[in-house]
Amino acid sequence: MLRNKVTNSLLANEKKSLHRFLVLYIIMMISIISLISIYYYQYQKQLMMLNQRVILSDYASEQARKIKSLHFLFPEQDTYPRDDRFRSGIYDLEYEKIFSLLKSSEIYFDRELYITKDKKIHFIKIFDDYYLGTKYLILEIDDDGMWIHDTWHDIIFYGGFGILIFSIIGFFLLNLFLSPMKTSLSILDRFIKDTTHELNTPLSAILTNIEMIDLSKISEDNRKKINRINIAAKTVSVLYNDLTYVTLENNIYSSSEKINLKNIIEERVEYFDILAKSKEIDFRLELNDSFLVVNKNKFTRVVDNLISNAIKYNRRKGSIGIRLLGNSLTVEDSGLGIESNKLDYIFDRYSRFSNSEGGFGIGLSIVKDIIDEYEMDIKVKSQINKGTSITIIW
Amino acid sequence: MVRSIFILILFFSSAFGNNVYTQNCISCHKDLSYSLQEIFMRYLSAYGGENNVKAGMLHYFIYPAKDISVMPKEFLEEEGIMNHGYIGEKNLQKSIDTYWELYKVKGRLK
Ligand code: HEC
Repeated sequence: MLRNKVTNSLLANEKKSLHRFLVLYIIMMISIISLISIYYYQYQKQLMMLNQRVILSDYASEQARKIKSLHFLFPEQDTYPRDDRFRSGIYDLEYEKIFSLLKSSEIYFDRELYITKDKKIHFIKIFDDYYLGTKYLILEIDDDGMWIHDTWHDIIFYGGFGILIFSIIGFFLLNLFLSPMKTSLSILDRFIKDTTHELNTPLSAILTNIEMIDLSKISEDNRKKINRINIAAKTVSVLYNDLTYVTLENNIYSSSEKINLKNIIEERVEYFDILAKSKEIDFRLELNDSFLVVNKNKFTRVVDNLISNAIKYNRRKGSIGIRLLGNSLTVEDSGLGIESNKLDYIFDRYSRFSNSEGGFGIGLSIVKDIIDEYEMDIKVKSQINKGTSITIIW
Repeated sequence: MVRSIFILILFFSSAFGNNVYTQNCISCHKDLSYSLQEIFMRYLSAYGGENNVKAGMLHYFIYPAKDISVMPKEFLEEEGIMNHGYIGEKNLQKSIDTYWELYKVKGRLK
């Protein structure tokens, strides 16, 4: 009977901070994982280069020896020494090519080991004696990219694992974060439910008995008092109906029928007339026939809440305009207005426009609930000290 | 007329460069215990690039000294220090160029 989906009953500003937390958490998670990945990639690259350096410098010494012996045999022998394990080239100290078997001509003479853009690994050995005029011996091997492949493999595998772990932690954190809100909301829900249940009998007794009083038989003074009791009872009754809706019956009202909204509104205006009169508020009605297939009780909650809010937040001697057109219903008051920064939260449960008025602040959340259920639109316009107008469009 | 004389001068001067090399350098060097090839390779391994080799050689030819020579001690003791400067700097330069072209390694490896 209580609404189990707790997030449903979370308030918008709490949802907002929840979103912030999530966004922050995700950004943090992604940046930590990418940072580690980048570091890991660099580390793997360095490791690969370190291995290559050991191998290539061996090759280079071997090749240097061959070049040296060719130097003394030149020009009787003029075949540059080849090797299957690598390609090589020799350059003089003016960076002029003497001889080269290299595939990549992208050479950085000031570096010892690097990868060219076309994925060749170059190792440069500098000669002290310029045999054959050589100062720079350049060794070249293909970067088979295996290490990159392996590194990516690792990054994706462990990164994915990391994301999983982080998500699980995040889930627990979120639950931790939510549980105080969950409990406080459910305590409130339970309290209201229990209270509501106890209100039913006395409230019906008051209302039926007031109906039964023959006003013509009592004095003017008493009639006023009875009126006040009537007003008070009706106020409580609206509240009672709202609370019942929230705690019990929103799942029970389900049968829809085609109804003329005009009739409901007229009936409810009459019901609230006595409340409005107490604040000398005028109703200005502009009601056209408008048929809609809805649950009568649910739509009554919508109308009741809009009208009772319009009375509650109106000023003395103000007015309430109700305009029912073919596909919209507007209720506007001439009251306090709502500050624009609070407009986002007015449909939150337990939020109130102003603290000067009582109430649980559940009225508009019920309206929103029902509007959403029927997939209608609701628009709120408000100006401070001029009034608020709420329009429902279907 | 002027042009043909100019071309003639150019022809002779370049022929003369070669001449200096064949007449002077080769004729004198063929009796030495180190061939011009060997001497060249020594220069190359000491000086590296073309400009360096040529500048080093020219400098040695004009200011020869034991401690800047690339040749082994015994050779120098045997032959004495040779000042090549007497044929003039221009001729030296030309014959060095010819010397380089004849013995350079660049472009001759297979
Ligand atoms: C008159 C004989 C003679 C002629 C002509 C001569 N040389 Fe020499 N050259 C020598 C002798 C002797 C040495 C060894 C002594 C020395 O190195 O100073 C020598 C040494 C050299 C060296 C080694 C220098 C060194 O660092 O020790 C070079 C290079 C050389 N000659 C080039 C030439 C060239 C090029 C020419 C032509 C312009 C030439 N020589 C003409 C006698 C000659």
